[in-house]
Amino acid sequence: MSVNAAQLRSPAFRGSRGVLARRAKTTVTTAFLVLVAVYVLIPIYWLVVASSKNTSQLFNTQTFLPPLHVSWASNFKGLFTFEDGDFRWWLLNSFIYASVTATLAAAVSTLCGYGLAKYRFRGRRMVFALVVGSLMVPATALVVPLFLLEHFMGLTNTYQGVILPLIVYPFGVYFMSIFCADAVPDGLLDSSRVDGAGELRTLWQISRPLLMPGIVTLFLLSFIGTWNNYFLPLVLLGTESRFPLTVGLSAWVSSLSSVGAQPIYPEIILGSFVSVLPMLVLFPFLQRYVARGLSFGAISGE
Amino acid sequence: MAVQAGGATASLPIRAMAPGGVTGPKRRRLRVAHGRSGLMMTSPFLALFAVFFAGPLIYSIVLSLRSPLTGAYSGLLNYRSAFSNASFWSAIVRMGYFGLIQVTVMIGLAIVLALLLDSPYCRGRKVFALVYFLPYAVPGVIAAIMWGFLLEPDLDSALGLPHSLGLTSGPIQPLSYRLVLYAIMLIVTWEWTGYNMTILLTSLTNVPHQVLEAAKVDGASELSIATRIKLPLVRRTIIFTVVLSIIGTLQLFNEPVILNEIATTGNSLTPNQIIYNTAFVFGNEQLAAAQSVILAAVTIVATVAFYGLVRRRMNPLAAPRATRAVAK
Repeated sequence: MSVNAAQLRSPAFRGSRGVLARRAKTTVTTAFLVLVAVYVLIPIYWLVVASSKNTSQLFNTQTFLPPLHVSWASNFKGLFTFEDGDFRWWLLNSFIYASVTATLAAAVSTLCGYGLAKYRFRGRRMVFALVVGSLMVPATALVVPLFLLEHFMGLTNTYQGVILPLIVYPFGVYFMSIFCADAVPDGLLDSSRVDGAGELRTLWQISRPLLMPGIVTLFLLSFIGTWNNYFLPLVLLGTESRFPLTVGLSAWVSSLSSVGAQPIYPEIILGSFVSVLPMLVLFPFLQRYVARGLSFGAISGE
Repeated sequence: MAVQAGGATASLPIRAMAPGGVTGPKRRRLRVAHGRSGLMMTSPFLALFAVFFAGPLIYSIVLSLRSPLTGAYSGLLNYRSAFSNASFWSAIVRMGYFGLIQVTVMIGLAIVLALLLDSPYCRGRKVFALVYFLPYAVPGVIAAIMWGFLLEPDLDSALGLPHSLGLTSGPIQPLSYRLVLYAIMLIVTWEWTGYNMTILLTSLTNVPHQVLEAAKVDGASELSIATRIKLPLVRRTIIFTVVLSIIGTLQLFNEPVILNEIATTGNSLTPNQIIYNTAFVFGNEQLAAAQSVILAAVTIVATVAFYGLVRRRMNPLAAPRATRAVAK
């Protein structure tokens, strides 16, 4: 009986010691991975449990155990009625800020990235250098001057004041210019031109379907980034009914320490849970697209 | 912490993309016409960029050169007061200390997790990858609220455990002045480890199969494959994640602000907290602009310095050599 090299190296052939060692390594690895998963999941688990407790349950029951009687119903009522139901506005606002910003940022970045990748024009290199250079500028450095400029233009405390600066997404342009170069063959564009289609029509009808995966990635990155943003809306907005969730909830948290304020712990905790729930539920489906976008800068530099 | 995906990348493929297929004068005519469409396509971005990015950037420099009292040109006055402000500098130094510990721990953990998920000893890779990445979907403010409440002894009975066992004189107070910096490290690590792991794992998946198989044929153990082959091959990605983390550390804002609201942990722990207070509590926008410019400069210098450090310290031939040794 002849034994080939592959069989020789197979764990079964190496005997039970190899199998045991492998099993031990798998066990140790799994134990470590589970430990880290616990660290990640503990606050989220706590958020679910704590959102079902009222104030006295929060302070008097075991932190990680569910209460005997859940208070979700009354907590939800409190969340949506406290201070004239501001929370409903925050939820709606976060959705408006994130979806409008993401749509426009994806559109503007795709258009610009496509223009840079598929056309040669005077100043093209300069635009590219501008885009890449601005990746180095930390976003928070612009917040204070942005407030002053928007104040001057009468844009503070408005929806467009928050949305417009966030549409400028240099990483999106950079991402799209490389994505377009790979995804759309030049020959395809030429044949569309020969058929007499205009450039914008070619972009919409021929290139857009090919670019769709990249556009989805951009939309999601911008959506999550805007949904999670705090510094910019905090500085630009003054009226509570314009707040997104992050700014609103932080205002509630800061009211906890003021004298004679209501102890609105259950509202804050349930409000936090409601703010992360949509994204956590959708995340398994979106993870693939988001991960691709994040790794992009690293891989293209590889 | 507002980390933007992207950041500085080393090499930029600006490709020459001549439209093929059409030749001669017709091609040149087409190209000129196309060129105009290309410029038009970039114009919406450029217009918004000018108003909402370049504008504020230039304005902050102009503003930083003006007197807070009179608004007249005052040279480097604001920079001098920013430099002589002890709390601003100690905040920057504090971020250096913070980053040294937190970024090291976080990137170390992210590397270990990515290598383990990429190893044959991992069961349920997809589930773990998803779980670790989940915090990316949680806003920094919410993460700080959750952890802030979990680190408050009044709300978290588990913190009183060492006390009831007689180990400490009272419940653990992670949000006390002495420990709050480490509490923020715990939160930031929670938020961004999976993000960095995801980037590294994608990069590891791109390591060529042949290289790994050749190593196995030569009898290399999984551990040496991980440390001698995979790690050198994803070195650039590791550097990239460290750079993103350095930038993020210097911009820290959300977590310290929320923790301060929960437990009065201090309103000038980080440079951005100080800039916010200077501009909006004290109304000194000129000084705040100077501080913003300094912070941006420190960020860029730190990034460039780190690139210089790893370029010189590590052999640029490390990755190809590993590949060659195995591919032989």
